[in-house]
Amino acid sequence: MRLRLLFSMTGLIWLVAATAATAASTNADFKAALNAAEAAENDAGALKNQWTTTEETLTAAKKAAAAGDFDTAVDDARQAEALAKASIAQAREQEIAWRAAVIH
Amino acid sequence: MLRAMSLMAIFVFALIRPVTAADAVNPQADFKAFRDYFTKKFPNVPLNDFVNGPYSMDAGLRKQWLEIDQFPPYDFAIDRGKQMFAKPFKNGKTYGDCFPNKGIGIRQNYPYFDEKSGQVITLELALNQCREANGEAPYSYVKDEMASLTAYMAFTSRGKPFDIKIPNDPRALAAYEKGEEYFYTRRGQLNFSCASCHVQSAGEHIRTEMLAPALGILAAMPIYRSEWNGMGTISRRFVTCNSQVRGVPLPPQDELYRDVEYYLSYMSNGLPIAGPGTRP
Amino acid sequence: MSVALGGHGPYDSAMNCKTAQAMLWLVALAVGLPVFAISAALAQTPAPAGQALAFDRSKGNCLTCHVITGGDAPGNVGPALNNMKQRFPDRKQLAAIIFDETKRNPLTVMPPFGRNLILTRQEIESIIDFLYTR
Repeated sequence: MRLRLLFSMTGLIWLVAATAATAASTNADFKAALNAAEAAENDAGALKNQWTTTEETLTAAKKAAAAGDFDTAVDDARQAEALAKASIAQAREQEIAWRAAVIH
Repeated sequence: MLRAMSLMAIFVFALIRPVTAADAVNPQADFKAFRDYFTKKFPNVPLNDFVNGPYSMDAGLRKQWLEIDQFPPYDFAIDRGKQMFAKPFKNGKTYGDCFPNKGIGIRQNYPYFDEKSGQVITLELALNQCREANGEAPYSYVKDEMASLTAYMAFTSRGKPFDIKIPNDPRALAAYEKGEEYFYTRRGQLNFSCASCHVQSAGEHIRTEMLAPALGILAAMPIYRSEWNGMGTISRRFVTCNSQVRGVPLPPQDELYRDVEYYLSYMSNGLPIAGPGTRP
Repeated sequence: MSVALGGHGPYDSAMNCKTAQAMLWLVALAVGLPVFAISAALAQTPAPAGQALAFDRSKGNCLTCHVITGGDAPGNVGPALNNMKQRFPDRKQLAAIIFDETKRNPLTVMPPFGRNLILTRQEIESIIDFLYTR
């Protein structure tokens, strides 16, 4: 009885894992994630506030995609987008906040 | 309706006015506050000694420096710069022809605001403009030839006090203010401004390295840095500072870099040129 | 000044996505491995991992500014990190400081490790595990 339960649970787990596998990222997913990341990084560039880590993560994303590893490529591209957006938020905040640090 | 609008206008005006009044650019007041901050923070450092950066505030480092200075690692750069100054361009002109007083003893006047072009002209920029005006290709701004030329020009200006002028021109004041904003703006993933390290944390250590005070920080440029294993210019210093806080650097001699050099040099007015220098 | 917090959204969702994927892989792996070994590995919250993160220059790099027992050549921009459990009995408070100290003190020079995505929430937690041993 217990053994049967274990078997059916194992089956369930495999099913979940298989679903995850079929849901793997494609080149199109990567392209979309990369476009979003690069758009955000361009905005950061217009504010003269890009981060080296964003650039490195974008490079890593492209490298992973070139090697056919689209899961990693999509993850990296999303991370790059988050980094670029954080740098934009920093620049916007500093447009006003810098004055608080001035020696008076 | 009209009343409401005029009320709003008054309200908006009231909101804006005190802000602009408080933000009015006042380089003289900034200069005094800046100098007072450092002289109060480091009461034992003589004013003119600030140009020696970490060596002005750490006895151990100072001793090492004095030993190193017996055979300064920047000597080759001075010699090379001197030779370059003496050697004519292909058209027969020399660097000296591009500068007042043939380029000797003038480092303390840079950067200056050029009212003709409406921008800040640094020594590095002026050197490349000189080359290009004489049909020569510009040099890289960060090291090698540019460091040699500026090393020689600084050497002939040693001891002369920084004399940076802000002409009565709104564009000059705007450049000054942009430089000030850049200096205090946090950037990079690590969220540091120039001031985070060189004002707020000046004299403290990151790992074993002492953070130099911003007062007089450009007076010893260019420098031989052990960390770089060679000479570096002001451009190199700005670019590496940006990368160290994980910010993508601007191109060397970008307008903003020149503005921040203008601001920072004005803050050091009166302090003696000490370049070329050495740093750990 | 709350504009700056706009960065949280993508951070959290990206993390959730990654965690979910990692969990799926763990579950898949569990099938081929003795279950107790996995649970033992998970139960161990390793202070050494936190120490590596705290000392690593590309990660926490705490030593650059803080004295920590066991770390070589520390800086002194920030306070020494000792007696951490007594000084910060509330783990959440310590996590908040590492995540973004500028919220509490706008002029601090401490990098906002969480807000600027220098460290993940999990990495911050394991650094706290390590700091609580100091």
